[in-house]
Amino acid sequence: MTQTSDLDRVTMIVLRYMRRPLFALLFVYSVGIMGMALMPGRVVDGETTRMNLFHAFYFFTYTATTTGFGELPDGFSDEQRLWTIFCLYTGVIAWFYALGSVIGLFQNPHFNQAMEGFRFARKVERNVDPFVILCGFGDTGSLLARGLSDHRMRAVILDVDPERIKALYVRDYSVAMPGLCADAGAPKQLLAAGVEHPACRALVALTNDDDTNLKIAVMARHMNPHLRVICRSTSARHEANLKALDSVTVVDPFEIFATLVYWAIDRPALHNLNAWLVGAQGVKLGVPVQVPPGDWILCGYGRMGHWLRDSLEAHGVGVRIIDPEVAAEEPQTGHTRSLVVEAHADQAALVAAGIDDAAGVIAATDRDADNLSTLLSVTALNPAAFRIVRHNSHENQLAFDAASADLVLQHSLTTARRILKLLISPLVQELIDWLAARDPVETQALVTRLQAAVGTQAPHLWSVRLVAAQAPAVSEWLQAGESLALGALLRDARAFPDRLPCEALAVRRAGRAVMLPGSEFSLCQDDELLFCSGHGVESMLQATLHNPYTLRYVLTGVDMPSGYLFAWLERRRRRGDDASAHDGSHRQ
Amino acid sequence: MNVERVVFGFFIILTLSLNVAFVSGGSGAAPHHNVWILTLAIIVNLVAIGLKLGDRSQTGALLLASGLVAGLLLITARIVWIVADPAGGGAPPAVDMADIVAIATGALVANTLATLILVGDTLLARR
Repeated sequence: MTQTSDLDRVTMIVLRYMRRPLFALLFVYSVGIMGMALMPGRVVDGETTRMNLFHAFYFFTYTATTTGFGELPDGFSDEQRLWTIFCLYTGVIAWFYALGSVIGLFQNPHFNQAMEGFRFARKVERNVDPFVILCGFGDTGSLLARGLSDHRMRAVILDVDPERIKALYVRDYSVAMPGLCADAGAPKQLLAAGVEHPACRALVALTNDDDTNLKIAVMARHMNPHLRVICRSTSARHEANLKALDSVTVVDPFEIFATLVYWAIDRPALHNLNAWLVGAQGVKLGVPVQVPPGDWILCGYGRMGHWLRDSLEAHGVGVRIIDPEVAAEEPQTGHTRSLVVEAHADQAALVAAGIDDAAGVIAATDRDADNLSTLLSVTALNPAAFRIVRHNSHENQLAFDAASADLVLQHSLTTARRILKLLISPLVQELIDWLAARDPVETQALVTRLQAAVGTQAPHLWSVRLVAAQAPAVSEWLQAGESLALGALLRDARAFPDRLPCEALAVRRAGRAVMLPGSEFSLCQDDELLFCSGHGVESMLQATLHNPYTLRYVLTGVDMPSGYLFAWLERRRRRGDDASAHDGSHRQ
Repeated sequence: MNVERVVFGFFIILTLSLNVAFVSGGSGAAPHHNVWILTLAIIVNLVAIGLKLGDRSQTGALLLASGLVAGLLLITARIVWIVADPAGGGAPPAVDMADIVAIATGALVANTLATLILVGDTLLARR
């Protein structure tokens, strides 16, 4: 069996649809034209004239399409007029039939689907800019697409739900984001979306079904083994499967959420830094949430609840659980020391769980209405309790804004931010994980440094690789065998030798990452540097990276001559200085 | 203060000034245009080009390009003068004079551009 492309399918459908109308037109035209040529015309000089075949064709063309120029090129005889009537009716009917078929074809859903698939594949194939394939355009997918658009990164979007794809068409993204309504689990659709395209940077599997995500990841891995795959998964079985594949990163929304809650409770400075770096609204650097010490009440003990409890108890934070269906599975998990209240999280249950002496409440069920009502009960019973709430559906945004909880975490948003960090600046995530594994003092030191560099502005994160294309002046300098310290590179050319208000967060060298490099850190060719600064600093540093004279000035503090003539004069002068210094030493 | 910037700025601005001095006046009127000023403008322009040789920065490349354009046009104007006035004593006829002034006006655009780039670059460097 031969392979068929979308183009072949479109051509085939058109031909099959248009076969009969085209034959009808051909038949009517042939009969009409031949008849017109055979009809005796007017008698001129005793001889009967006839229309030649070309004139007959000309006549039929303007008659059948109802243009009707009149009796051209000469006046008609009555026989010809009789035949004209026949030609007019048959021709017009044949045309209506043909046009109706074409319109029917354009309304045929199969044809439209094939056309859309063909256009989508062509758009992806012709794209030269780097892009990401996004499978699944739900809450997380649309938030991720928005984030990618803010970073001017393209995405190709697949979703099985036609409504989601229609919603995609009305978004105002800053870059082109072609979308197709198709099952991303089918290899053919992945191929159309550009899995094998050289500009494809990564594939993100974000559908709501773990099986589909696993399928997408495995298919993509087979079709393009070098492609980076990020896969959303909430089941342990799938995660084990996926982690066995290299180049596949598994993202578990519940795990991310639980980690963030744990940070907010036990590592507020780190939580604050992370939120500030990802650009969460209303977060000020160095102003972490103030969390009281004590036990926490966890409302809702599903998959998310398990993650939260494990994460908190592993770090010595006590947890009391309120859930109507917790008892059935409790003996299996082996946890026995927590207080468990088997009820819905209403006022009575909160009192039973000891709301009066609890540090706070985590409302983490998967129903927004329950979470919001728990918040109200908590405010009534113990206004001092810290309230963390899980926000499930994007639609309820306004209610959560109004609820004024101490911390609102939306797992689709936290997942989207994590994936965005992995795609745009993986070093940021590595830095946060590195800080999480270390003493909180280091986090505090970094926060102080960033406060000094960036102040109250929003952070601007950007990375540079020391290669000829991105930093020609630095690359040339390093190739000449000169050494380059990070601190010297970051000097301000406008106010030498002051530093630019900018912090180098991490350096990636040959696959390994060096976190928080000091100002003596010696840079090498091919290093990738991650910077954090306020706005406007990037262009200053870009000037240093691109202009050899600016670079030399910030490194040495001396403005080197640029033209041949002055460079020659400078060399002569220096040689003269050296010679006189030499003489002087001799004379002594 | 950078000596090289002073010297280069001097030559670039002098070229512009001489160019204006040559072009100003009625375009066909020979007595309004002095062949010596044109010749001087060419020489000063060539010096400015020479000073920019070897600069590897982007603005240096742009300044060199505009200097080359101005030089090309000024030299063309001088050649037209020589052809139109082979005797060398008097002035070219009004028709040729209009051509010469038109070409020199073209050079004036390139020189203005070079001066603007120089000023802009100096202001942006802010040091």
